[in-house]
Amino acid sequence: MTAQEVRLCGLLLREHFGEVVEKVGTHLLKGGAQNLRTIIHETGISLDLVKKSLCVLVQHGACVFRSGRKGAGSPTEYQTCCDRILRILRYPRYIYTAKTLYGDTGELIIEELLQRGHMTMSGTIKTVADRLTQNMEEGRSMDYSEVSSAFFRLVETHFLQRCPPLAGAEPKDSATPAAPAPPGTPAAPVSTAPPTPESFPDCYKVPHVTLVGRGKRQLASEDGEDQRNAKKAKMDSQTHGDEGICWQVNFERFHLHFRDQAIISAVANKLDQTSSEIVRTMLRMSEVTTSPTATCTKPLSANEIFRSLPTSYNIPRPILDQYLTLLIDDPMEFVGKAGESGGGMYVVNMHRALANLARATLESVVQERFGSRSARIFRLLLRKRHLEQKQVEDFAMIPAKEAKDMLYTLLSQNLVQLQEIPKTPDYAPSRTFYLYTVNQLPTARMLLQNCYKTVANLVERRLFESKESKRLLEKSQRIEAILASLQASGAEPEQLTEVEEMITAPEKQQLEALRLHINKLDSAENQVDETIFLLESYINSTASTSLLNDIDGVRLEGQTHIDLDNASRAGH
Amino acid sequence: MAEVKVKKETNLSDATEVENRIKQLCQQFPHGITDQVIQNDMPQLEPQQRAMAINKLLSLGQLDLLRNSSGLLYRMKDVQSASKMKGSDNQEKLVYQVIEDAGNKGSKTWIIHMPVRCASKKKVYMLYNLQPDRSVTGGAWYSDQDFESEFVEVLNQQCFKFLQSKAEVARDSKQSPMVQRNSSFATSHEVWKYISELGISKVDLSMDDIETILNTLIYDGKVEMTVIAAKEGTVGSVDGQMKLYRGVNPVIQPTGLVRTPCGLCPVFDDCHEGGEISPSNCIYMTEWLDF
Repeated sequence: MTAQEVRLCGLLLREHFGEVVEKVGTHLLKGGAQNLRTIIHETGISLDLVKKSLCVLVQHGACVFRSGRKGAGSPTEYQTCCDRILRILRYPRYIYTAKTLYGDTGELIIEELLQRGHMTMSGTIKTVADRLTQNMEEGRSMDYSEVSSAFFRLVETHFLQRCPPLAGAEPKDSATPAAPAPPGTPAAPVSTAPPTPESFPDCYKVPHVTLVGRGKRQLASEDGEDQRNAKKAKMDSQTHGDEGICWQVNFERFHLHFRDQAIISAVANKLDQTSSEIVRTMLRMSEVTTSPTATCTKPLSANEIFRSLPTSYNIPRPILDQYLTLLIDDPMEFVGKAGESGGGMYVVNMHRALANLARATLESVVQERFGSRSARIFRLLLRKRHLEQKQVEDFAMIPAKEAKDMLYTLLSQNLVQLQEIPKTPDYAPSRTFYLYTVNQLPTARMLLQNCYKTVANLVERRLFESKESKRLLEKSQRIEAILASLQASGAEPEQLTEVEEMITAPEKQQLEALRLHINKLDSAENQVDETIFLLESYINSTASTSLLNDIDGVRLEGQTHIDLDNASRAGH
Repeated sequence: MAEVKVKKETNLSDATEVENRIKQLCQQFPHGITDQVIQNDMPQLEPQQRAMAINKLLSLGQLDLLRNSSGLLYRMKDVQSASKMKGSDNQEKLVYQVIEDAGNKGSKTWIIHMPVRCASKKKVYMLYNLQPDRSVTGGAWYSDQDFESEFVEVLNQQCFKFLQSKAEVARDSKQSPMVQRNSSFATSHEVWKYISELGISKVDLSMDDIETILNTLIYDGKVEMTVIAAKEGTVGSVDGQMKLYRGVNPVIQPTGLVRTPCGLCPVFDDCHEGGEISPSNCIYMTEWLDF
């Protein structure tokens, strides 16, 4: 949890839940797992407010609780992890994806669940139906069954999942909600890893729900009441058979979808549309058979791919084979060949594709920030790994003075590192080789932190701009409210224009400019979030592959050790 | 009767005459003459005068001073080189010797003749009438010690345009994908021929030069290369293989981070809320928002 991450999380919590939750949340982020008393004591906030803040955080999955480390009977400890809070940045992308895949109904379901954190199926369906009905013409309303079917589809494709059940408050019980095991806890044995939602067999099982009816349209006079009731769960006297079963959005599934999209668009950019369609088909076929952390999909035979291609792509079989061969020959190695049976077995290399995309991101940053010649040097070092100053000048065909200047600039920004190789043990500068090199993984991590800082800067600027024009915004809101009430009570046009003119023209201009600024900052946040997603996926994918390699290495070492032992015991 | 030797009467007081006589003797004996020979020829010559004449000739560079087991030898110098040496002194003569021996690779010393590329800050000198070797002058990219970056840039762009148009033609041909890709490739020989025919280079470029330019295009991320096996004797093949190049498209658009002012900000590390440089008072942001 770096300083930049904590700062960004604080800003996000403040925007979505208010300052009190921000205080409690950042305190937990900085301090690790703490119990209630410590939190109250250190933040100076009253017990009531701290409890409510913790409720909000738990409801949204940002905070987990478990029994204290001092054994049974010790107070419950709360812990926050910034990963979940940083996801808030990505909410617009989740909602938009749901809209493209499942239409308006899907969009609203996801939006409701993101806003509420956890909700029962019946509750969601009713709320969404009401909202959809609100936007429809008079006299029409949305049937619950339509919304239900959209919900089923979302669950089928794993975009929604059940929240893991809480088995009471017994500290001994290991059935706590999904929580990342804190690395420094000595008491927690390694074997009882916290259960993920997927470890429960009913994770994607839709309960039998009796839900018949249609969405209710809110009448205008009920507006005031509705505002008050909006945040509280609707107290329905009806029960629908699914009490206690809450649903949440499955972020990992969305992330797999985004990853697939990134790979497909990279193929489309590099090669052509047809190749990207083939890769899309392959990824779709492997959606359920490939684990999220796998480096490549399960092998698919060319015959299967041919059968699964969308019907609009009427390409003959030999042409498909040609496209597959081209995909394999491409230096980016999106697709690999895993065997010859079934007309050729092909896999999509997801880890390699992510690594290439991360590399392209790094190169793009260097290019935009320092110019195309520095980018040439950067790419050269990525390819050739270690080079002396002279070799860099020769390969890149840049005059010596300028090349030196660019290398030193990149070095000062930590994008390029210097490796010393001494010829003599005393590291004398005249007798040492100095080689320039680029390490992709640490550079990606550094850029990721820069991204977090950038987003935090954008958010702060947005808040600043709003604060500057606060007076003006309040005035315009008041005038809008007056206008709305006048219109509702049937006022005359002159009265309406009189009220409208209370805002002067320059003020209108200022408001318009403010609106543009805020939109620009908002969309910039989303764009940086795309970069964040690519870099995070690459770092996580590399971490999991290297972990597997490390485990193998340890096993091997262990064996050698035992053999030596045996040898020494065998009567030498 | 004593043999009357008909001798050319030399005016012994004329130093030039003495010198000329010594020169004639040298020409007579191309392997060199000793002091004794001169003495025999001009017995009336005072040793002092003889020494003066010899020294004069040596300093003029018309005579070579050599040593063998029996003593000193004087040899006629090559006329051509002798004229060149006019005006230089003994030290320079030795230097000249070294340079000549070094042949056309030049040698590192400090006087006369054509200064050549100094990439390593050492001035290299060589004989005027020899063609400097490629490694010393820096090849086609250097003219008079300056690295011609504009020339390299122009070549870079031309090669890229050639490969790009070839790829476009292949794409528009709407044939099977394999044929399309293969026809978008160009061998280094083809590119070399195109550039030579363009005539933008006043220096002759070899295929190796073109390959270094194409490599810079690879490092620009605009071009990719494959190597294929080729029959010996096919045009452009080297050691049984050919290098093929083709223009490629970038794999992503410029990433989101660089579309914000913070991604390009030179004072990014100094910026924090409440400081001199902060998001609230950032001038780059203000400019960008009003754009």
